[in-house]
This record gives sequence, structure tokens and C-alpha cells, in this order.
Amino acid sequence: MKIFAAVWQLLKLKEMKIEIKKFGEMLISRPAGREAYLALSAYLTKGVDRQELLEIDFDGVKVLAPSWADEVITKLAQEFPNIKLLNTQNSTVQATLKTLREYSDLKI
Amino acid sequence: MLDDNVKNLAVEWCAGDDPNNIPKDYYCADRGEFGARIDNLSADLKSDTKMEEGDVYMIAAMAGEIGNNSFDHNIGNWPDAPGIFFGWSIDNNGARIVMADRGQGIMKTLRKVKPEISNHQEALKVAFFEKISGRAPENRGNGLKFVREGIKQMKIHLVFVSGDARAEINQEFKIGAANENIRGCLAIIEIKRDEN
Repeated sequence: MKIFAAVWQLLKLKEMKIEIKKFGEMLISRPAGREAYLALSAYLTKGVDRQELLEIDFDGVKVLAPSWADEVITKLAQEFPNIKLLNTQNSTVQATLKTLREYSDLKI
Repeated sequence: MLDDNVKNLAVEWCAGDDPNNIPKDYYCADRGEFGARIDNLSADLKSDTKMEEGDVYMIAAMAGEIGNNSFDHNIGNWPDAPGIFFGWSIDNNGARIVMADRGQGIMKTLRKVKPEISNHQEALKVAFFEKISGRAPENRGNGLKFVREGIKQMKIHLVFVSGDARAEINQEFKIGAANENIRGCLAIIEIKRDEN
């Protein structure tokens, strides 16, 4: 029975993807990040089960600065325990995530 | 030698008496204008230097953090002139990016959350190394740490001046006395040609 329950839980686990490039290619200031977070809270993540797998895709992002990301990525990580980061090769994405892990307690 | 003209204009403005002594071409009154000019900086670095695209974007991110800090910490509280100086020069010797403001400065900003800071040099050290936010209880204050790491990783140079303190950042971090007393903050990023 435990196996059936586990499989059922897996089947129930849905995915949701947030494409960061839809907020722009150059993501720099805190006010812009806050605005992005408010918009995605109202239109994308509203009503979404907090246990869902949330994919955050950085494909197409040219500049990600920690101020913007702290308002969006850090807050999403506080809301959703299951997050997967996609396409993080960009140097500013890498450096920003490192800064947030070190100074903003980002746990992804 | 990198061209000193833009740097000298910034120093004259942020160390001088006249808040209006800023060339229009280098003045960003608000974040919107600053953001647009970051795009221009990226385009110029891509077309006029041999920097790799990833490095250009790192420079844009670091400039963005420094410039937006000026707006974040002085909004509604500029002592005389709102906005920032933002200019750059690119020539055969490399590139120099200059940002300045006539805001509160690092020490006054950080003393709100850490009153025991006794001088500008100590304030700069705290700003670049400690997990602290001048806008507590908001949890922020990671921008200058990101800049310090980025400068080190790219092996370029940053001079950051606030009040009578001057920090020089490359592979090391040195703090000393500044030649001029800067009213707010002055930041100069230098990328020398032989470093890229």
C-alpha cells in the first residue's frame, strides 16, 4: 500500500515553469524585481499548490543582478520548497545565485 | 593610461560646491534613465572592446548594483542634487566606467543600523564585507559584496570613494584616505586592455 501511495503522490506532483526572460533581458533593480514578483504572484503562482515543482528558467537572460533576483528568486524559494533552476550558465546568473546563497540565505 | 576626462568631471561634481555642475550627457535623474544608459554601456563595451559577452554583462550587472544603490539609499533624502553621474570612456588602453552621487554616503547610511561605525574607512569595510542592510528591517545589502566578488573574478579594478575614505579593489582589498572629500559616493571601474 505504501508503494501505491508513493506512486500516487508522484503522479499528483505537477510542474510549473517560470521563464525569467519574459520579465526582460536586463534584470537589474529592486523596484523592477518587486514589480515582477507582484505580477507573477498575481498571474502565475496564484492558487498554485506550494508543493508543486517550480522550474525557474533563465534561458535568454543577459544580465541578472542580485537586487532584482533577491526580490524574485529568494522570495519564490521561501514560498516553494521544490524548485529546479534551469539554464543557469550565464555568468551574471551564476554570480548572482552565489551571492544570494551567501548573503540572502537562498537555499537552492 | 586611461582617459581621465570623465573621471575628473565626476569628481568635480560630487566633491564640489555646486550641485548643478553636472554635464547633461552624464546625468541620470532617475532609475529609468540609468537603466537605459546601462543598455548603452553594454552596447559600447560589446562594439568597442574585445571583451567577451559574459564579461560585458557582468560589468553591466555590477554597474547596475552600484548605481541603483545610490537611488535605493537616497530616495526622498537627497541632500541637494537628486540622481547620479554615469559616464564611461573606451579607448585603445581599455575602458573606465564612472558613477557618482551627492547622496548621504556610506557612513551616514550604515550608521542608521550600526551606530558604532566611527569613520568612513570603517563604513566602507562594513559595506563590502558584512551582511548588513542600510535599509533594515528590509533584508538586503548584498550588492557591494556581489561587486567585490565580480571585480576579483574578472581581474579588473574598482576604486570606491565615500567621504574621506577610498577603497581599492582588485585581487586585494585596500582601504586608505581619499584625495578629495566626496559628498556621497564615487565608483570607478577600470578594465585595462591587457587584462582582457
